Amino acid sequence: MPISRRTFLGGAAGTAAAGGGAWATLLRGSVEAASPTFSSATAPLASTTTTAAIAEASQATRAHLSVTDRVLVVLEMAGGNDALNTLVPDIGSYHDARPQLALGDGDLVTLSGTDYGLHPALGGLVPFWDGKMMCAVAGVAMPQQSRSHFQAMDAWRSGVPGAPSQTGWLGRWLDLTIDAERNGIDDPLRAIALGGGSQALVGVKTMATSIRNPSHFGLITQPGTDADALIAAFLATSSPLVAEPTLAAAQQAIPGTLDAVTLLAAASSDEDELGFINQTPGAGQPAVDLLATAARIIEMGIGTRVLTVNVGGFDTHAGQVDNHDALLRDVGLGLEQFFARLEESGDLDRVMVMTTSEFGRRVRENGSGGTDHGNGGLQFVFGPAVSGGVVHGEYGLGLLDDGDIPLAIDTRSVYQAALEWVGGDGAGDGVFENAPARLAI
Amino acid sequence: MIQFNSTRETVAFLARRATWGLVPGELDELEALGVEGTIDLLVDPSGAGIAEEPSAWADWEYTYDQSDRDLSRAQTLEALDRWRNRLQTTQRPLDHQLAWFWHDHFAVSLQVVRYVPAMLDHLDLCWSLGRGDFRKLIRAVTTDAAMLVFLDGTTSTGAAPNENFGRELLELYTVGINNFNEADVKAAAVALTGWNVRPRFGWDTRFVPRRHDDTPQTLLGVERVHDVDTTVAAVASSPACSVFIASKLGRYLLGDIDNSTIFALGSTFEAADLDIATLVRATLAAGAAGKATPMVMAPLPWLLQSIKSTGALVETSSLARALGFLGQPLANPPNVGGYPGASTWLASSATAARFSVATALATKVPAESPALVAARGGDWAGLADLLLRPTGFSEPTLAALDDLDDSVTTRPGEGALALALASPDLLIA
Repeated sequence: MPISRRTFLGGAAGTAAAGGGAWATLLRGSVEAASPTFSSATAPLASTTTTAAIAEASQATRAHLSVTDRVLVVLEMAGGNDALNTLVPDIGSYHDARPQLALGDGDLVTLSGTDYGLHPALGGLVPFWDGKMMCAVAGVAMPQQSRSHFQAMDAWRSGVPGAPSQTGWLGRWLDLTIDAERNGIDDPLRAIALGGGSQALVGVKTMATSIRNPSHFGLITQPGTDADALIAAFLATSSPLVAEPTLAAAQQAIPGTLDAVTLLAAASSDEDELGFINQTPGAGQPAVDLLATAARIIEMGIGTRVLTVNVGGFDTHAGQVDNHDALLRDVGLGLEQFFARLEESGDLDRVMVMTTSEFGRRVRENGSGGTDHGNGGLQFVFGPAVSGGVVHGEYGLGLLDDGDIPLAIDTRSVYQAALEWVGGDGAGDGVFENAPARLAI
Repeated sequence: MIQFNSTRETVAFLARRATWGLVPGELDELEALGVEGTIDLLVDPSGAGIAEEPSAWADWEYTYDQSDRDLSRAQTLEALDRWRNRLQTTQRPLDHQLAWFWHDHFAVSLQVVRYVPAMLDHLDLCWSLGRGDFRKLIRAVTTDAAMLVFLDGTTSTGAAPNENFGRELLELYTVGINNFNEADVKAAAVALTGWNVRPRFGWDTRFVPRRHDDTPQTLLGVERVHDVDTTVAAVASSPACSVFIASKLGRYLLGDIDNSTIFALGSTFEAADLDIATLVRATLAAGAAGKATPMVMAPLPWLLQSIKSTGALVETSSLARALGFLGQPLANPPNVGGYPGASTWLASSATAARFSVATALATKVPAESPALVAARGGDWAGLADLLLRPTGFSEPTLAALDDLDDSVTTRPGEGALALALASPDLLIA
């Protein structure tokens, strides 16, 4: 028995199928393939039939690539990544402020055409730099940038400076395009958060799917249980929606979850069973694992337009040398493998990756071998459409703002550029109030 | 706002918010006590003749042995099992709700602290001081070994202060965002320099004057702040502090309460000279008076309340796994903001995990359990009442229960019980 709510809820199936060709075919294929194995724990819900359907859908997609086949991946480096030790300036004042932490010429990876060096843990990304597929934005911040993790993260995710917001910048864009791209019907797989939810994806009409740990994502029933019937009953508790909004929110979570389990089990489990993950260098580390899942989702061509990947731990107040090295190594390796995989599947042209972090860290090191919360930070943008090999902005070390890197570039101008790519010309219109123009990246 | 039509509804609400669940029959006892009697019993169990409990780890020794990683791991699990066990068996549930609230508030994580006894001492602080004078709690936590390690106090010196604790003391622990500025962060950081932990001496904490900068600072407008005591006095005397704490505890127990309720609770807390028991009593009374809103339950209370109501026999190791699967492992908040909130527990990961854990839990319920008997007999009103929802299930859940074929599981009633536990109704307290 099929388990998608679209099939259960009868009428809705037709509207979903009308949304887009490849995606609708895929949904049906995987749903049918899924049901026989549904009752087992994290076992693959998709059989080879599904994998074939995915490959077919993916092929069909690539044959006529359009803007709506593009996927924006936002890699959130939570905790406040230390910009200065990631993209390192060759300036004396940097070394003076960081007697313990400064990285010298001998440690750094040269970035051709710039005065900056890259942290050695990111050395694997140099080919992207040299291939003009990667650029950096230094001194990037939100206006009225906060030094509080939570306030800063809220602002970076909402794209609204200095005030709380109910929606995120990607959620607003998804809302604005829901009519044109999906006939006004929300599809929970259009926006997926991996490694935990992101407020950036929150919209009014859009409900993103949030998956903390893809390898634990599944529905388990006990032996001897009619799993389909029990899952059908679970789905039935979700409609009709009750009037009370909190209970209604708990109801609303169920159909999207069932859809996501069905489709994403194929993305996250089939290769785990074959030991794929365990053979990958760096497996078990958050960025490596989550970016691997992101790559699989993109390859599946299930209509996902935006993915956020959240990796934490960048709050390096102490013992920064080793901690930061390990964090960046995970990110560097994760990105390297992510791109390699997409290149192999022929999906590289569909993807832009942008890193974010809620703030940069204090220029002067503290007494704990670490750095405290700062202001301006760093973003990287990767993708075939990027005019790479360039550092936009600057750290402004001669003009510090209370000991911190001042704002050289408004984050929202980088967001605008990402939206114009993923959504086409003018896609950023209406997403921000009084936003600066798109950064030419 | 949740309005109540009967004493039973009100005391069931108090049980959902302020206990770790009730076994069958206990709701009748609370109903007989009445709303005020129930609040008395929760806030002052000693007054009802229920003795103070020893620490969950009072008669337990951690034999740390670096060379034996298996032993070390086993002991960590055992330590956390003792905590879960205490939550499930305590006769003083609100003491442990408050301990959990403060643990979440300070968000000290075992993964960062790493040394189990220091983490347990910290949890004991949250428990033993969590019902008294807020100043004493903050004072103790500020120089607590686990906290000094967690937010880098051990390496914060006069020569180069580390702002990590100073910032979170203001933003997360006492006055809240927008009630301090960057100069206050720096002042608090300087005044708190010089504290150290000595791992080789049983993680004893001590103050090292030569590592401290005693220069008088101005903190939140208070002058001559230069050490722990003057720092705690300055933050606790800020009018923002009583409101911030009242707001946080109010939201923990009552949900999305309005500002007038928050300010009223803040005034009560201030007038009581920051006595936490007075604040919690006023908060529960406000909830009983209709000021609470529906809220999404976190996995820990959902799981423990489900177990108590159904009598499910679950091994402690399975419980630990279930909590990890649900996304709320004990003693490990993911970051300094504490455990995640409603949006995480409503997300796909948590929804799928809730279904999976509910189906597993139902298989562990003994045949004679009143909840399973009610589920088997299709007594949905009785089942809802046992699950602390005396107003019954929502219409969609009722319809789903009615339509569910009893043969869905080998053992009759198990499927309906699993469905009830997984239902949206049980996620909302």
